[in-house]
Amino acid sequence: VRVVLAALSAALVVALPTALAGSAADPGISSSAIVIGGTSPLTGPAASYASVARGAKAYFDFVNAGGGIAKRKIDYRIVDDAYNPANTVQAVRRLVEQDKVFAVFNTLGTEANLAIRDYLNQIKVPQLFAASGATTWGRDAAKYPWTIGFQPSYAAEGLVYGQYIPKAKKAKVAVLFQNDDYGKDLLANLKLGLGRSGSKVVAAEPYQVTSTDVGSQIAKLKASGANVLCIFATPTFAIQAYVFANRLGWKPLVINNAVSGTSNIMLLASEGGKNKLVEGTITTTVLKDPTDPRWNKDPGMKQYRALLAKYAKGANPNDVYHVYGMAVAYETVSLFKRLGANPTRVALMKAARSISSPNNPFLLPGVLVKTGNGDNFPIQQGQLQRWTKGRFVPVGGLWASKRN
Amino acid sequence: LTPRTQRIVGFLAFAAFVVVVAVLPSFISDFKAREYSYVAIYLIALLGLNILTGYTGQVSLGHGAFMAIGGYTTAILMAGNEQFGGPLSGGMKDLWTLPIAGLVAGLVGLAFGFPALRLSGLYLALATFAIAVAMPSTVKRFEEYSGGGQGIQLFGIPELTGSITNVHVLGRSLTPNDWMYYLAWSIALVAFAGAWLILRGRTGRAFRAVRDSETAAVSSGVSLARYKTLAFGISAAYAGVAGGLFAIASAFVNPDTFPVALSIFLLVGIVVGGLGGLSGLVFGAIFIAFLPLWAQGQDLGSLLPDRIIEETQKPGGPAIVYGVVLILLMFVLPNGVGGLFRRIGQLITNRRYSRSK
Repeated sequence: VRVVLAALSAALVVALPTALAGSAADPGISSSAIVIGGTSPLTGPAASYASVARGAKAYFDFVNAGGGIAKRKIDYRIVDDAYNPANTVQAVRRLVEQDKVFAVFNTLGTEANLAIRDYLNQIKVPQLFAASGATTWGRDAAKYPWTIGFQPSYAAEGLVYGQYIPKAKKAKVAVLFQNDDYGKDLLANLKLGLGRSGSKVVAAEPYQVTSTDVGSQIAKLKASGANVLCIFATPTFAIQAYVFANRLGWKPLVINNAVSGTSNIMLLASEGGKNKLVEGTITTTVLKDPTDPRWNKDPGMKQYRALLAKYAKGANPNDVYHVYGMAVAYETVSLFKRLGANPTRVALMKAARSISSPNNPFLLPGVLVKTGNGDNFPIQQGQLQRWTKGRFVPVGGLWASKRN
Repeated sequence: LTPRTQRIVGFLAFAAFVVVVAVLPSFISDFKAREYSYVAIYLIALLGLNILTGYTGQVSLGHGAFMAIGGYTTAILMAGNEQFGGPLSGGMKDLWTLPIAGLVAGLVGLAFGFPALRLSGLYLALATFAIAVAMPSTVKRFEEYSGGGQGIQLFGIPELTGSITNVHVLGRSLTPNDWMYYLAWSIALVAFAGAWLILRGRTGRAFRAVRDSETAAVSSGVSLARYKTLAFGISAAYAGVAGGLFAIASAFVNPDTFPVALSIFLLVGIVVGGLGGLSGLVFGAIFIAFLPLWAQGQDLGSLLPDRIIEETQKPGGPAIVYGVVLILLMFVLPNGVGGLFRRIGQLITNRRYSRSK
């Protein structure tokens, strides 16, 4: 009898924790799938960013075709929010409460992510890799432990431009910026970077996301007599800025922020080569540019092209936002691999706060994705580049932000 | 049908509708209840807009702006604006802010009604469109009052009833989503009855007279100035209450919460629902609440082939579907759903009439 009892209790000791672990599985995890979801502007003023979600989905489809992660497929649900934060709130509640997602992932836009942050943190659902460079994601991680960003912060980016400009010329700087946290973050840190170099901001004109064009802003900025134009704007408005400035016969040095400083947008802005103002534009990036011949034989970019052709039919491979999507999906897959057979939301956030990924195939060589020890900014490096004869050429080596 | 039977049928239909609204949450998922509360919110705004546009003949493309005024009134009364450097400390419970939201928006509507007297038709539409366009920027301009582009967060503050915990009301325990549903629909039903009462009497007759012919209305002793501004005021007050509820339901406001597109959607809503009728507006509200989701293939996953769902999730896809559905609907129901109701009513009347002969 004793032997039987001992065997029984031993069985209990072994079985109990597994039984408990089984019953405590978080929503969105089943034996065959991990459900995650996020909003994306499929329509509206920022619809060009829809490619971010599409690129990520293509990468997940590729991973799923290879058997998924621990036999689970990633079910990534994309909901359109038309870049309107009120829609984001509704869509995210829908994803969490109806679709029962495990984590909210890759939601795009600063205001969109701000609008859902309190909700997600109170109900303890991960807000994974917010697609926005607002500094608050990393800075306020203690207050919002369920939120983490991905790309370099706008603060770091603004600072880098501010430090670059005086090296190029003694400048009078004019700034076009989006009238929200994103634009203001860039502008404030640009000024910080300029410091006492003698170059300074002589004019700054905001525009609203809801406005239709930035013609009047550009005219005012030109009138300020500036010889450097900083464009802190999303793609549609950035292209307009080039077009209007060119029509007015203004020939400043242009600094274009990373969110629109991509080759596909630059080609559009060059109006088929008619607009010479794009030439010499300075921007920063962390992504491998699909149009850059340097990466023709790069295994990461070969994979990118193959995946996009197979899993996102009809998508334009030269659209760099797809690369961003794949880069962020790659890191997500690595995170889920680390979670093993029983992923939990708590474990996901813990893993997200201790990333060390030096070889993301879609990011520039040398760019680390790294968090841990109080560092809550996954990417803190970048590469300045100059638009020269229809493509970007690197300027100097990688920069790294120390402050943020 | 005689007017008397018509009224009885109408009353019975309304009673049946109240019953449906009351029991619906038992048949749908908890989350769906939240989505249906947005139908009630849009219904309130549509009722207001139809009083102005459908009954008084004054086109407004700016009702999103009146919703914004209501939404911000509610949000600031609840959360205050001290955190942005403003003068108000907030602290008012969500429910009590709604009458004030309606009042503030109504007063702004009345004030706008005066200059609007000089405009009519297309010119009025443009003037109201201008408020809709200017509203988001205006809100951002006064950052210390409104929190600027970052908006005002209401989720989790004590003034919001039921952020994540259940709400106890009348001896029942409601989930936050069910609470929102019953709150929004109670107000919507009262608003519906209110609109019916306003429109059935003297005031409603004056409104319709203004719509049908201003000259004839004036010569019958109807004061154009009085009734046009009154229609603007009532209509804006409805939009204000809807905006306040919208802020509570979203637990968040920001200038882009009330974009120009919202004003246009509201106009689409009353056209789909049927101008100059009330019951059809429920369908108009369902249309603007759900079509953007359906256009993305959400909820329809099992009904449509994967190929189509895939197309709608491409950039721009939902907008195309939305447009096509709207065009088709206007072909099939040129007078909106309300027009369909009226036609059915007419058919029955005609049959009865010809039989009795």
